[in-house]
This record gives sequence, C-alpha cells and structure tokens, in this order.
Amino acid sequence: MARTPREPVSDLPTSVRLSLQFSFLYAVLSVLVFAMAYWFTQYEVRDWVLDQMRGDAQTLRAIHDRGGAGKLIDKVDALAEVSFENARIYQLQDGNGVIVSGNILQPIGAPLPATIPAAEIRLTTPVHDEVERYWMQEATIGPFRLVQGTGDHIVAEILEALGAALVLGYLLVVLLGLIVGVLVGRITERRITAILTTLSRVSEGQLSARVPASAPAGDDLSRVSARINAMLDQITRLLESQHQISNDIAHDMRTPLQRLRQRLERMSDAEVATPEDLRASLRQTQDIITTFNALLRIAQLEGDDRQARFEPTDLAPILADVVELFEPVAEDQGSTLRMAPPPEPLPMTGDRGLLTQLVSNLVENAIRHCPPGTTIEVSAKPTGPDIILRVADDGPGIEAANRERIFRRFFRAEHSRHQPGDGLGLALVRAIADLHGAAISVSDNRPGAIFEVRLPRSGRANERVPLQHLN
Amino acid sequence: MRVLVVEDDRETADYICSSLRALGHMAEHAPDGRQGFLRALDSDFDVMVIDRMLPGLDGLSLVKSVRNAKVATPILFLSAMGGLNDRVDGLEAGADDYLVKPFAFSELSARLSALARRPPMQAEETRLRVADLELDLIRHAVSRAGQEIPLQPREFRLLTYLMRNADRVVTRTMLLEAVWDFNFDPSTNVVETHVSRLRGKIDKPFDRPLIHTVRGAGYSLHG
Repeated sequence: MARTPREPVSDLPTSVRLSLQFSFLYAVLSVLVFAMAYWFTQYEVRDWVLDQMRGDAQTLRAIHDRGGAGKLIDKVDALAEVSFENARIYQLQDGNGVIVSGNILQPIGAPLPATIPAAEIRLTTPVHDEVERYWMQEATIGPFRLVQGTGDHIVAEILEALGAALVLGYLLVVLLGLIVGVLVGRITERRITAILTTLSRVSEGQLSARVPASAPAGDDLSRVSARINAMLDQITRLLESQHQISNDIAHDMRTPLQRLRQRLERMSDAEVATPEDLRASLRQTQDIITTFNALLRIAQLEGDDRQARFEPTDLAPILADVVELFEPVAEDQGSTLRMAPPPEPLPMTGDRGLLTQLVSNLVENAIRHCPPGTTIEVSAKPTGPDIILRVADDGPGIEAANRERIFRRFFRAEHSRHQPGDGLGLALVRAIADLHGAAISVSDNRPGAIFEVRLPRSGRANERVPLQHLN
Repeated sequence: MRVLVVEDDRETADYICSSLRALGHMAEHAPDGRQGFLRALDSDFDVMVIDRMLPGLDGLSLVKSVRNAKVATPILFLSAMGGLNDRVDGLEAGADDYLVKPFAFSELSARLSALARRPPMQAEETRLRVADLELDLIRHAVSRAGQEIPLQPREFRLLTYLMRNADRVVTRTMLLEAVWDFNFDPSTNVVETHVSRLRGKIDKPFDRPLIHTVRGAGYSLHG
C-alpha cells in the first residue's frame, strides 16, 4: 500500500506558512517603529515648536520696537484670530499683569516654559479637539510680557498619519505576502507533489518513474529532483545488473548442470559407477561452484560498499607476488612472464586481496590466450594522481570489435571457446577496477594486446575519469 | 581428534560428522548457536567447525562468545559463497581458519587436521626433519641425505609449510593461502607447477619421493 505523500507536519503549505510568519514579523516591526516614532516626535516636535515660538517672540519684539505698543497689541490680536483652531494661543500682559490682548481668558502667571493641560486653560474660542496639552513659553517685549502656547495635537496628527501608513503597509504586506505565497506555493507545491508522486510510484515498484524536469533549472528543487533521478538511475542499473546476473546464471549454468545430470543419470542406470565417472562428476560440480562463486563475487563487488574496507597498500609487492606465482606456469608453457621495470613502492588505497586478484586475472588471461613463445610483461608506473598498471603481451592480440566485450560476463572470443576458463576472469577484473574508481582499457600492442588499468591512488574515481558503466 | 560441528543443516552436519567418524575422529553435532556455545564451554574439543548462519546465535557472535569465554580451541569458520567480507569478519571475530560452502570434504578434513595439531607457538622448532630431508629455519638451508639443496625463497616457504604439516594432507588452497597469501583460486594450476618444481629439487635426484600427491585433495609430505 502506498503511503500518503505528505507528512502531516502542518496543514498549511510551506509558502503560506512563510508569508504568514513574515507578516507577523512585519507587524512586530511596525509596532516597534511606531513606538520609536512616538518617542522621537515627543521630543523633536516639542523642540521645534518651542523654537518657533521663540522666533515669533523675536518678530513681535521687532514690531514693538518699530511700531510701538499699539502695533504689538494689534498684531497679537491678529495672530490670536488666525490661531488655527487654537493650535496657537497668545496673551499679552502689561507691566501689572493685566491682559491687554490675546485669546487666553485667564491670566497666566505661572513660571514658564511649562506644559499645561488644555482643560486648565480657558480660551475665547473652543479648544481644538485633539489638543490635550499646551507647550507654553513666555517672553518680555518692552513693558509687556508675552505668553505663547502651542497645542500638542501636531504630535497626535503626525502619529496618526504614521500609524495609518504603518497599518496600511501591514495590510498590503499581508495581502501581497499571501498572494505571492499562494502563487509561489502553488508552483512549488506542484513541483513537490511531482517529486512525491514519483517517489510513491517508485515505492510501488515502477522503477522507470522519474521526476519531470521543471523550470527554473538549477534551483534547489531542480537539484533535489536531479539527485533523486540520478539515484533512481543508479538503483535501476544495480537492479538491471542483478537481473543480468540471474540471466547469466540461468544461461551459463544450464549447460554444465545438464551435462552433470546426464552423467549422473547414466551412472544410476549402469550397474557400477566407474571411478572416472565419479571424478568427472565431482570436477563438473566444482566447475559449477567456481563459476557460481565468481558470479556472486562480481555481483557483490558491484553492489556492496566495499570501499569502507579499503586500506593503504602497496601495488609493487602485489605485482611481484603475482609475477612470481605465475612465472613458472608461463615458463612451462614456453612463454616468458616478467616484470618491467623493477618495481618501486607504489602506495595507494585499496583492497589488497582484490587488487591481487585483478593483477592475477590479467596475467592468467594473458598466459591462457597466448601461444608458446609469447612474452608477457607486467609494469606499473605512477602518473599524476593515478598508477597505470599494464599487462602487455606479444601474442595474437584482441580484435578491435571485442575490446569492450571481453569485460562482459561470460564473453569468450570465438577462438578461445575450446580453451579452459569460465569467461568471468575479465568481468571480475572490471568489477574490481570499477570498485577502485579505475578506468580499464585494451589496446593493440602490435603485435599483441595491452591491458591498461588506470588506478587512482586514492582508491576513488578522480573527477575527470568517467565512472565505468555498471553493465 | 574431537570435533564439535555447529551446523543447522541436518544433512550437511550428518555428512561432516559421519565422514569425520569414518576417518577415526570423534564428532559431536550442535544444531544451533546456543547449544554450540554450551557444548563448547562444556567439554574439550581439539577443533570446532562453526557455520556462519545459525539459528539462535549466529556464527560470528558464537565465535566471539566462545573467545570471550576464554576457550582457545581452534575454530574453522564456514560461510556461504560470495561472502567477500565473511573471511575477514570470521578471522577478526576469533576464528582460526575459514572455508566457503560448498566445499570438498577433503578440504575440510585437511584444514581441521592442520588446525587441531597446530604446534604451540612457544615450542617453535628451528629444524624440521622428515626422513632424510632436513630444513634449517635459521640458516635457511635445506639438505637431503646430507646433500645441500639450494632453494628459491618461495620454494623454501612452500617446503617449510609442507614439512610443518608432514604426514598430513595439505590442499592447494591451503598452500595458496599460507605460502602466497592468495585468498582466491586462480584457474590455472599454479600450485601444481610450483610443487612440481620443488619435487624436481628435493625428490627427483633421490630414490624415494617424499612429496606425494593425494588424489582429489592435495599433497602430503612423508617418508
């Protein structure tokens, strides 16, 4: 049964959740901005207002100096008339504190400057709605005392405007955020759904399912999709390789198993089994086991994470050991196996046992397929980050058409079908090479064949070496 | 020798036990890990055969438990084929040797004999002698009937192994592992070639051969 694609972390898609979170953040910031603005305006506006009143007193003083008391009284009255709904209030007192002009009804005697609540001041006209307090200041002009006041409603109005702007901004942000969030979310959601659908299909067994490519390429979701597809490709390849192994086994085991069966049937029909028959049966059984074992080994090398077992090792003694082991075999066959040039330490990371088998299989392959009189030369030299291992012979060589095929399981060239061997030696070589991130190739030695294995010293494929195909 | 066989497959166990008994050994069978562990602690065996896959307590854990219980009896570890890591895992757990199933009985029997009669480490001889063949481990010299025979280093190692296991059957795989440190079987007859070279030096010039081929099994060096 398929699992529900979405994990129930939240009912809201990520994009909407993000835009809500963002608008909340914006609201908090707005409140902060408002608080700061309030604090600033309180002081800044007050300073500015006081400065303005000081300036006005200067102007009135100049009027008095030029025009005398009459002009001053008229001017203060005129100013009081246009008091902007009592935003500005004035009172002119003579030397005895008697009110001579202005719009403040009661005499202001308190020491100034000061802030006086609007409720405590009686005016000729009603007080402006929003004025709560007056900032009051006094000045001496000739024999007169000028008392001026400015209402604080200007602060309220500034804050009101700021507040309105912030609230409107907040609403816009929320609205835009939601619209963008929903739109982006819908696009993203569609892509995520595509990924989840693909994964569900794969888990239901449809291995060919792939996440469809979607614009914009190169963004995070596209990278995730590409990764998932690459992973699915790898899984598919591994499964195909497993499938191939089953086919290979079925194909190549059928014949020896059939032969063994025939022999055993003949033996059970006969009264007495000859020792030759028994030994031949055992030999055939052993061959089947050997083949099967080699196949399983290749399969394991292809699927397993054996790199975890890699250790620092030295290729030189491995080469020397293999050459030493096979040298008499080659000699018995009338060929020469030698090491050239004499080995120097060739440190690398890898699996010693498997590297031994790789070299051994290459050497064995050369011995087996070369006629008497052949010279087989094993060499290795460090080249950049790699070690290039070569097994070269001057035998019949390998047809160009077969140079890739020889590394396949059970491939055997026509002319070598009559020779012993299970056709798995080179397939195993390739599996071991792949595991070590090594590239392997065969070329013409004119005459003969050169098998070349480019082994990265690190035991892992260098970036520039394309990873060998799995099958 | 007394052998404990811990193997869950009845037929395989019967085959191993009856084949061992036919050779004059005493074989006991434990069908699972738990019983194997109890038997191993209970009585003295010369060697134990432990299968990798066991019900109750798996083979690796059994080997570890047996070693933790300070039982030093040599252990031969059996595993299914294709298990690339099994050999190392088995030896690391404390097994002394390792064999992949399916195996030939001759291989099992040869390995068990070699394990059971492994010479104690402290009493390492410096001179080996079989009939008139003498090998001096310190001087790295070999002589037969008083006649010095020069050997290549690898031939010397091969002969040393054969002489240490004199009168016992030594298989090709055992030689590959012990003399060349190869843990796989090359398909060409490399061991035969090397043994035949050695024969050419220590047997051929003399009347009586000392290295004998044991058909279907391997070699045996005896007088």
